[in-house]
Amino acid sequence: MADLEITNLHVRTEDREILRGVDLTIDKGEIHALMGPNGSGKSTLANTLLGHPSYEVTEGKIVFKGEDITEAEPHERAKSGLFLAFQYPVSIPGVSVANFLRMAINAKREEPIRVKEFGQQLQHAIELLDVDRAFTSRHLNDGFSGGEKKRAEILQMAMLSPDVAILDETDSGLDIDALRTVAEGVQRLHDEQGLGALIITHYQRILHYVKPQFVHILMDGRIVLEGGVELVERLEREGYDQIRQEVSASAA
Amino acid sequence: MPPEVAVKPGRHREASLYHALHGAGAGDGRSLAQLRESALRAFEDSELPVWRRSGFWTTSFAELDEGLLVPGGGAPRAHDAGVPQFVADAIPERARAGRIVQLDDAIVHVELDPRLAERGVILCSLEQAAEQHGELFTQWYSKRLTIDRHKLEAANAAFWTGGAFLHVPDGVLVEDPFEIVYAISGPGVAQYGRTLVIGGRSSDFKVHEHDLAADFGEAGGQSLHAGAFELYLQDNARCRLAQVQDWSAAESDCARPEVFDASTRFVGVGRDAYCHWLPALLGGHLVRHHLELAVSEPGGDMAFRGLFFCEADEHLDTFAVDLHETGPSGGDVHWRGAATGQSRTSFEGLIQIDPGAQKTHTYLQIHTMMLSPKARLDAIPSVLVSADDVSASHGGTVGELDEASIFYMASRGLDRPTAVRLLVEGFFEPVLGQLDDEPLEELVRGKIAAKLAAAREDIEAYATAR
Repeated sequence: MADLEITNLHVRTEDREILRGVDLTIDKGEIHALMGPNGSGKSTLANTLLGHPSYEVTEGKIVFKGEDITEAEPHERAKSGLFLAFQYPVSIPGVSVANFLRMAINAKREEPIRVKEFGQQLQHAIELLDVDRAFTSRHLNDGFSGGEKKRAEILQMAMLSPDVAILDETDSGLDIDALRTVAEGVQRLHDEQGLGALIITHYQRILHYVKPQFVHILMDGRIVLEGGVELVERLEREGYDQIRQEVSASAA
Repeated sequence: MPPEVAVKPGRHREASLYHALHGAGAGDGRSLAQLRESALRAFEDSELPVWRRSGFWTTSFAELDEGLLVPGGGAPRAHDAGVPQFVADAIPERARAGRIVQLDDAIVHVELDPRLAERGVILCSLEQAAEQHGELFTQWYSKRLTIDRHKLEAANAAFWTGGAFLHVPDGVLVEDPFEIVYAISGPGVAQYGRTLVIGGRSSDFKVHEHDLAADFGEAGGQSLHAGAFELYLQDNARCRLAQVQDWSAAESDCARPEVFDASTRFVGVGRDAYCHWLPALLGGHLVRHHLELAVSEPGGDMAFRGLFFCEADEHLDTFAVDLHETGPSGGDVHWRGAATGQSRTSFEGLIQIDPGAQKTHTYLQIHTMMLSPKARLDAIPSVLVSADDVSASHGGTVGELDEASIFYMASRGLDRPTAVRLLVEGFFEPVLGQLDDEPLEELVRGKIAAKLAAAREDIEAYATAR
């Protein structure tokens, strides 16, 4: 059984249906890329997997590590090992990065983490992601640049060691150096901790640094094409329009 | 014969009470007996006060049992010497320069670091100060406080007992705080708290006031704290003044204590002196505070911070005045407050710059957070400027819990109550952190966390309603 199993997922917001039957399975240690044009439902899928209250699952289910989590509370999903790196991380004024991390780690544990152990983990993550030590005493995302916010997301991911992480357009708005750092961080967490990842992206850029084994293309709320990394290259050559035409031709 | 203090019956019914005290108080070199006499007449000639801000709120003390007010009318005297257990339990142990505790109508405990006593620091009951330090007392007592604006103010000036007196002489620097405690033991008490603090030239010290009540038992009932507080800083003096007021904190399954609190607090900042004043107003059945921080001489500077948290069926009415009587002077007023339950919060912040207070620069900001659909919270900033070479401005926000932030934290494994607590703590942090005192910060954080836990259902309902 796969770690994350999404079956025939239909999702709507207040006014319309956005996902119209998505099937996807992700195992720990696998890197998947989910690509698609704007408005295809990528962020909806990411938010739904973590249980965002604005999205309603009308059909289908999400099973994680054998448990049906379709109706689970967001914090329960996180505690069971799912992680979402946000496209637009919100700022949490008054709470330092380090304190927030400690609370998040402790939420997953019976006993609070010891100071020394926490310090070591934090040091390791800081080095991995090439961030400044002072960064961790700043208030979370408060006044952070776009690049700093994305690094803070990956730092949290490294500290929380999820089984499967969903990265929602983590590459958008990053300069090339920041992109490389973030992507290498993801790759190393995959190599070192066996992280499973669903990298959601509009562009191909990040996939030059993180190599996905599986690529899925989402259009109009459905996965229309699946394959290996060669799909990324094809997309780069042909663009979404060409693929859309082919898909609608074969469906007709 | 000194002139009679003018008493204008019915004046308390005017909205004009949302004016700065502004100007000389009742003291004026008269004897305590004369002042008590005048205050008694004002007390007898007036009714329980009502404050109105037309179109916004009415704060009425009409439901207060008048039988409580006159001493001997049912108020038990506190006979036990020593710090009562409920006070010891509520206030964290820490290093202190001195401590004075009033229980109900009597001082039950005074301690002062002997090294400070040797250097001339005086900490004693105000009763004792009137007898033993007559010169200081007469010079400063009620120097800027009035005694006849409303019945409860008059009651304080006429009937006060116990009271706290602190004098830090010229040039004395004190690291640890002086602690002043007003505690109420149960229902049926009228506590007329009266505090006078004088900071001598170039003195530097901290004052922490705690206001709290014991468990009121199953029957519950009313008590009154009518307070008058004055602090004067002479040339170059520096003081950090903090207050943690929470009359409703006692853990109990019984009825909530109904403590009525009508207090006036005045801080006068002298030449090149500085005051950092931070009241944390965290509970009381019906509370009306007039808080006035006045820069009285050139070069004076102040930071006026405050936070409030109003819950259940509490009503808090705060009038905070940033008064500049002369320039150059500086001011920086920053308040933050939250409301749960069916509570009612009325806040008015006034910047007043007098003619001649040129080169004054001041800013007032008030931020509020609504946590319940049934709570009501009004915040009015106002500016009264009578000088032309000044800068004075105000700003503020009215906020609610941000669901995007709560989802973000949930996605990291934090449950909703924890996320809400972090958000609210974060909201208060810009003010809370300025207590700059670890034990006091922890105490206030703990109180906020407890109030949030108590209001959990409310907060859920509010989120769903939106």
